[in-house]
Amino acid sequence: MSTHTRRQWLAMAAAAAPPEPRTVLRVPFRSPGAPPLTQEQVAVSLNGKPARVVRLLAPDTDLFLLLTLDLSGDLSLADAARQTILKRLAELPANVRVALMRAQDSLRVAVDPAAPRETLTAAIEAFTIAPRPGLLNSIESAQELADSIAARAHVRVAVLMVSDSNVVNYREDYSNPVVNSSDSGDMSRRFPEGLIKEKIRQIKARMQTGESPLYLVHLQYLSDVLNTAYQTGLQDLVRSTGGEAEFCRSIAEVPTSLNRAFDWIMQSQYLAEVESPANRGRTIDQLVSAGGREIHSRPRRQFTGKGQR
Amino acid sequence: MSALRIIAATLILSAGGAFAQQAAPSSAGNELQKAVEEFQIQTKRLGMVEGSVPVRRVEGRKQSRWHGRLFENLRNDFLDAVPHEVAQRGGEKNILRRNQFGFNVSGPVLLPRLYDGGITTFFTFTYEGMREKIGRSSLRTIPTLPERTGDWSSTVDSAGERLPLFDPSSTAPNPNYDPGREVSTGNLEYSRMPFAGNIIPASRLDRHATEVLTLYPGPNSDAGPFFRNNYFVFSPEVNSANGIITRIDHSAGERHRLGFGLNFSNGQDGASPLFLNDANPGPPVRSRRSRRVFGEHIFTLSPQRINTFAVDISSSQLENEPETGDGPVFPAYQFSPYLGMGRSTSLLKSARNQFVVSNSHSVRWNQHRLRTSARFIREQVNIYSPSYPEGMFRFGSGLTSLPGINNTGHAFASFLLGLAEYAESSVVISPSYFRRSRYAVSGADQWEIRKGLVFSVNVTVELSEPRKERYNRQSTVSLAALNPVNNRPGALIAAGVNGQGRAFQPYVATMEPSAGLTWNPFGATKTVVRLGYGRSYSPIPIYSVQWGTQAFNGTPTWVSANPQLAPAAVLNDGLPATDRTFPDLRPESANNTVADLVEPNGIQPTYQSFSLSFERELPGAFLFTLGLGHAGGHNLLLGSGSSNPNAIPLSALQYGVQLNDENFNRSVRPYPQYQRFDVYASWPEGKYRRDACSLRVEKRASSGLALAASYELSKQMDNYSGPYGVQDYYNRANEWSLTSGNNPHRFTVSYSYELPMGPNRWLFPVTDWRRYLVEGWSLSGVTTLVSGDPLALRPQFNNTGRVVDSLRVNVVPGADPHVSDPSPDLWFNPDAFAQPDDFTVGDAGRTHPSLRGPGAQNHDLSVNKRISLSLEKSMEFSMVGLNFLNHANWNDPDTMIGPASAPNVNAGRIIGSRGGRVIQLGLRFSF
Repeated sequence: MSTHTRRQWLAMAAAAAPPEPRTVLRVPFRSPGAPPLTQEQVAVSLNGKPARVVRLLAPDTDLFLLLTLDLSGDLSLADAARQTILKRLAELPANVRVALMRAQDSLRVAVDPAAPRETLTAAIEAFTIAPRPGLLNSIESAQELADSIAARAHVRVAVLMVSDSNVVNYREDYSNPVVNSSDSGDMSRRFPEGLIKEKIRQIKARMQTGESPLYLVHLQYLSDVLNTAYQTGLQDLVRSTGGEAEFCRSIAEVPTSLNRAFDWIMQSQYLAEVESPANRGRTIDQLVSAGGREIHSRPRRQFTGKGQR
Repeated sequence: MSALRIIAATLILSAGGAFAQQAAPSSAGNELQKAVEEFQIQTKRLGMVEGSVPVRRVEGRKQSRWHGRLFENLRNDFLDAVPHEVAQRGGEKNILRRNQFGFNVSGPVLLPRLYDGGITTFFTFTYEGMREKIGRSSLRTIPTLPERTGDWSSTVDSAGERLPLFDPSSTAPNPNYDPGREVSTGNLEYSRMPFAGNIIPASRLDRHATEVLTLYPGPNSDAGPFFRNNYFVFSPEVNSANGIITRIDHSAGERHRLGFGLNFSNGQDGASPLFLNDANPGPPVRSRRSRRVFGEHIFTLSPQRINTFAVDISSSQLENEPETGDGPVFPAYQFSPYLGMGRSTSLLKSARNQFVVSNSHSVRWNQHRLRTSARFIREQVNIYSPSYPEGMFRFGSGLTSLPGINNTGHAFASFLLGLAEYAESSVVISPSYFRRSRYAVSGADQWEIRKGLVFSVNVTVELSEPRKERYNRQSTVSLAALNPVNNRPGALIAAGVNGQGRAFQPYVATMEPSAGLTWNPFGATKTVVRLGYGRSYSPIPIYSVQWGTQAFNGTPTWVSANPQLAPAAVLNDGLPATDRTFPDLRPESANNTVADLVEPNGIQPTYQSFSLSFERELPGAFLFTLGLGHAGGHNLLLGSGSSNPNAIPLSALQYGVQLNDENFNRSVRPYPQYQRFDVYASWPEGKYRRDACSLRVEKRASSGLALAASYELSKQMDNYSGPYGVQDYYNRANEWSLTSGNNPHRFTVSYSYELPMGPNRWLFPVTDWRRYLVEGWSLSGVTTLVSGDPLALRPQFNNTGRVVDSLRVNVVPGADPHVSDPSPDLWFNPDAFAQPDDFTVGDAGRTHPSLRGPGAQNHDLSVNKRISLSLEKSMEFSMVGLNFLNHANWNDPDTMIGPASAPNVNAGRIIGSRGGRVIQLGLRFSF
């Protein structure tokens, strides 16, 4: 191709579409129950200033799902979860790619997204439970991986974590057990949930730089002080990413909750790619609205430049 | 464009190997392919694929593989409020210096150049130490200085009337006594002369008592009333502790998981002395040691099958430290209501070891989850605890009283004369080594009958071995054996002697069923109904006492033939001689003692419970739970204060003053050869029932707020609970009344709130340096409100010839026990109750059915400020306040009812309140 021809091609391409901004900010949001939104309907403001929506990936567009299993407890709950997941995977449309991850010890690939569907199904059927939960050790990695994928490809990326974790079963010590039983004046355990709260605060602070939404289905709601703090913290954590959490109080709720989570991801999760302001500062408020209705807001702590095109 | 689609599909096929998950979408398959490629690249980079070590980077740096925390918690008296009970008597705060410190670190096991645990071998290590110096204050009643010299001319009773002392050496039968009439000042059985001027002559004071009193401190307070509460002690207590918890977790592939743990703790429980010499009656300094080692292997055979094998070995040791060196301990002298001298169990050494081996196997099969488990428990208790190695002397008012007349004489006056009504010595030749094994198997099924309906059932069968002693040094009284002395039932038997086995109870097998139902009615997943039923048994504990070894470790006792007429021992003569030597395996060797009695059938406490709950999730993340519960138990193990198989039937009260004669008193007991039995919290006669309904509302985090509130309405009845014991051991139905600690209303609120301050929050959304001041604040708190305890009324005097241990009051017919406006000045109407006549029992309940003490409330709060130093490091400052509102809760009213002739002026009144704010500051660095 001659230089002249190349210039002509470039000029035509420039006329066909606006140029890609140098820095894109990905803003996931959900619009449940509403009719499908178009790019023109969606308005995004960053720190109160309107930002140009470069691309809107609607629920019918490509989806990359990181399905992360953290099964460490009841066989019945795990089985109920497996059956529901298998049923939903069989119904997934063609433009959804699923990677199966194992959360125990650390986040590990169980099935590559390029593997055949049968392999994925077999892996889920054969997925064993492990005695130590790993949700807290893998949740950041899952989001980091998801962010990297989203930065590389124009696809919606979601992380769905399925866990039955009990905070006292972690390898780390979040339960603050009594060390000296003879110490009758110990007041430090009057509010024993401090350690787990601190751990979740640390994770949340680090995940404020992330972009991908996390969804959590917890298979076993526990109401003791430690687990209440743990589960409340998890809910807060995933909501801060733009995702949502479900907690099951009986086996019967497992299919319902998992279906709801799949529906959130498949039917109502959008991804808006917006032009990043030049002077962004360390913190930024994202606000998504459509037709004057606020859909989603999320404060983000900072940009790191990580994964940005 | 078609060409591009073909290329994308080809790329997917090549990237995914032979066959990808699905065909490439027609529109943007190249983007999904890019995503897959990026996934593969990043999972390798981040060490997420098999055989690699995960790598995480935070702020451009590799994230530390080890995490943990350092912490310090500080308490100092300058942070605390003066406790209300101290402020009310004009006292000041006690000194308090307390530091609790330690660290925790966890991460992969790393042995440089040898081993990198990676994600497979993980450890956590926690150390915690505590150093505490705390001033303890105590307000007690001791004899006045004149009383110590025998001058009781100014001593008054609780009504402020002079307390007369009578000279026991002047005792003579009253020839005019009419046995048909009640003993009174006009009809005395025995006459006795009062001490002139109510002063015991110095020549009559016991020499030993006088010597011992040189170690007794003098009064230093005039809190009163009537010279009571005249000794205020303030002395420091020094406590310390050091402990570690270590755990190592290793995964061998996805199917095997090994866990190992070690816990270690050494501590010293200080004790603030009441006297600064050998005669200290306060508790001893104790050292504690605990060790625990445990391991487990979890084998995941398949997704539907898992096996867990565990071994757990633990030991806890306790040792009293003698008051002074290794010399002999000080004897004990008891002259209630005054503070005694010396203490019990000065020498104590005990160890409790437990070995547990268990295995459980869980299988998922169709709609069932089956679980079988087996467990073996071996318990050991090694104990050396002589109660009174140098003897104990107990003094009563009887010997200085006018026999049969209340409110005369005093225990301390009897002490001054050296006339003990009871004496005891402990002869402990060797420690006891108690052993027992238990074997349990259980099977459980959780069956999903249909969607939304789950039935679960569990059955546990346990076989309990009775307590044995390693060297067969056990004995008990057998109520089936005849005593050779009086040919009555009840004789001592020893383990392994005369055909007796090693234990006194049989092996006991129990079956514990439980069942539950979880139902989501009409398929509504936001509503859950739960039903539960359980029946369980509690093994008879092995207590850390040498109870049941009487033939080997004897307790010679000396009892007054009549505590109003003759002493059991004279102090100056020391303990009377005994011809017993140990071991003493004769059937009559426990005669005339408080004999240890082991229940022969091994009856275990039985509990049953039934529960029903309704849970409903409401909009706004509210969870609402309504619960109903019933629990009951029988054959609960009672102590000697609540069970007395050698009690005299109440019908014997007809004998009146004859009961004061020890020989006669003994003759009306079921087992007259024994003073009474010591059943040591092991006699299965207790029964209780509890009914409750509760309401709980939870609000999950919303805008940083989490909230839970619960209210419980309950009623608990039993036939044994305190605070004053049982009146009629043979009519348990008559003891059925409200449990002494039952609070019918209990309301609790707990909350946690992340204050919305700082960047991106609605309060102080500053982003400059001020953000470090305003962000990261949170609150946690618990508030509890409870209604009062049922009141237990008791008479001031118990003149029942030792037939009734815990006498009740009489109800005055027609008198309302309630007052219209209860206040500390008058909480209930004491005139509604009366002291029973001598040798009669009270007709009021053990606890009153409607009178309750004042309610109580408590508010605890934790304020935390978190400062993020980096994305991996943070500092948290905390301030925990117990009773942070410094609320004073009223004490219970005085429930002692005196006779009309000498009423308790404080009956029905509340004297004082209790509680005070306690603050702890904490600093924790997390990394």
